[in-house]
Amino acid sequence: MAEASIEFKGSSFTLSVLHLKTSILADISADLAKKVAQAPDFFYLVPVVVSIEKLDCSVDYQAIKLLVESFDFTFVGFTGAITKEQRNVIRELGFSFVNTTKNSILEKSITTTVPAVENIPAVVAATPTPLYTDKIHRGQIRSGQQVYAKAQNLVVIGSVSAGAEVIADGNIHVYGALRGRAIAGATGHHKAQIYCQNLEAELVSINGNYWLSESMEQHWGAPAFIHLTDSELTSSKLT
Amino acid sequence: MARIIVVTSGKGGVGKTTSSAAIGLGLALKGHKVVLIDFDIGLRNLDLIMGCERRVVYDFVNVINGEATLNQALIKDKRVSSLSILPASQTRDKDALNKENVGKVLEELGKTYDYIICDSPAGIEAGAMMALYYADEAIVTTNPEVSSVRDSDRILGMLASRSRRAELGLEPIKEHLLLTRYSPKRVEEGEMLSVEDVEDILSIPLLGVIPESQAVLKASNAGEPVILDTESDAGKAYQDVVDRLLGETVEFRFLTAEKKGIFSRMFGG
Repeated sequence: MAEASIEFKGSSFTLSVLHLKTSILADISADLAKKVAQAPDFFYLVPVVVSIEKLDCSVDYQAIKLLVESFDFTFVGFTGAITKEQRNVIRELGFSFVNTTKNSILEKSITTTVPAVENIPAVVAATPTPLYTDKIHRGQIRSGQQVYAKAQNLVVIGSVSAGAEVIADGNIHVYGALRGRAIAGATGHHKAQIYCQNLEAELVSINGNYWLSESMEQHWGAPAFIHLTDSELTSSKLT
Repeated sequence: MARIIVVTSGKGGVGKTTSSAAIGLGLALKGHKVVLIDFDIGLRNLDLIMGCERRVVYDFVNVINGEATLNQALIKDKRVSSLSILPASQTRDKDALNKENVGKVLEELGKTYDYIICDSPAGIEAGAMMALYYADEAIVTTNPEVSSVRDSDRILGMLASRSRRAELGLEPIKEHLLLTRYSPKRVEEGEMLSVEDVEDILSIPLLGVIPESQAVLKASNAGEPVILDTESDAGKAYQDVVDRLLGETVEFRFLTAEKKGIFSRMFGG
């Protein structure tokens, strides 16, 4: 039998959440306009989930959606701890309702005015961020070899040769030279980082964002670590 | 117990057969009983380098298939009586060997010989895996050049995972780095990887550095392993390799470019 042409898998995404503190459309519109004017490029087509947690029952969902879209956001759905009735209304209107995990450690409040835009992880498939243990590999990882730390961090005591591949669902630490490929946060973990004592990698990737050697010039041949800031890879010197 | 040493590299043309011949003959000249086995079935070369190509009657594959005895296939070297060569078959391919029968042949040879040198074919396929499977030690032959170094790295991974010692969880194969075709002048000019560069990438102990030398080609064509050319740098460097294999501490030579003397500078020599 031929393999299925589709596959369903759970993944976590970082989405911007727009918290509404009022249902008065004119007020929301005014504050949104101010916010977007500060950084139009940043907000352009950004997927956004609208939190109605702080609102009462009298919400015009359709109007809010259209308002958000009028500022060139990509409307994803609604979120917030609301009643069953509200949820049913939302569903009947054909909008999606997104559940969130309750921890907001990553919360980065941009503003205190109404509306507030925050980054909190919206876990679509309800997989909580796990605590990773370490998989330790002693010795050099040679060209052609692949080491995968499934649901773990990977610690390599030795070098990773050109043509070798190290993958971890968590962080990757290389106590030696990193000359091959390193893929951290392989199953979707944007906080994953890659550390090495000598950065000469062919490729580094965190949560699907990758760099080839040419992007690593700044810390080439030096001890460095790679992390994600706002969905962009950044390298920093390891002191 | 015989020491089974595989001479391997991954990449072709880096000097595996030249090194096998030189080291094998060198060990024999020191009084050890040595047998050289050509694992490159279908691309028989070792007999040419050893200068015994006209004496091949039976080969390794005949022995494996039970068509000839070991004694019928082994060729005694005419220069050193303690050295024998087991040639490869030129008409067969690498699938002609199987682990079980190769193991039996090596066991039989181990009863008579002190050193069994396995000259591996290039690549990482069945033939190369067969040559390294039973090894106790490996001489990883590498040219100071990126693709060769990477292929050697790959083979080192195979030695650590695909050998008999790895499968049985025994002490790992002892790895030696042999750097061949080294040109100190080109290293100084930044055209070639240095010994340090290669050591840094492969991180295995250095057994020897053989300088690029006209003597090697001459020796190959003449069927006289280059170690017999005691005047040449390459011959001397192979002699050092043999001494190191036997446990002696020998300083590394031919690592720096020769400084031109005043006369050659004056006369443009």
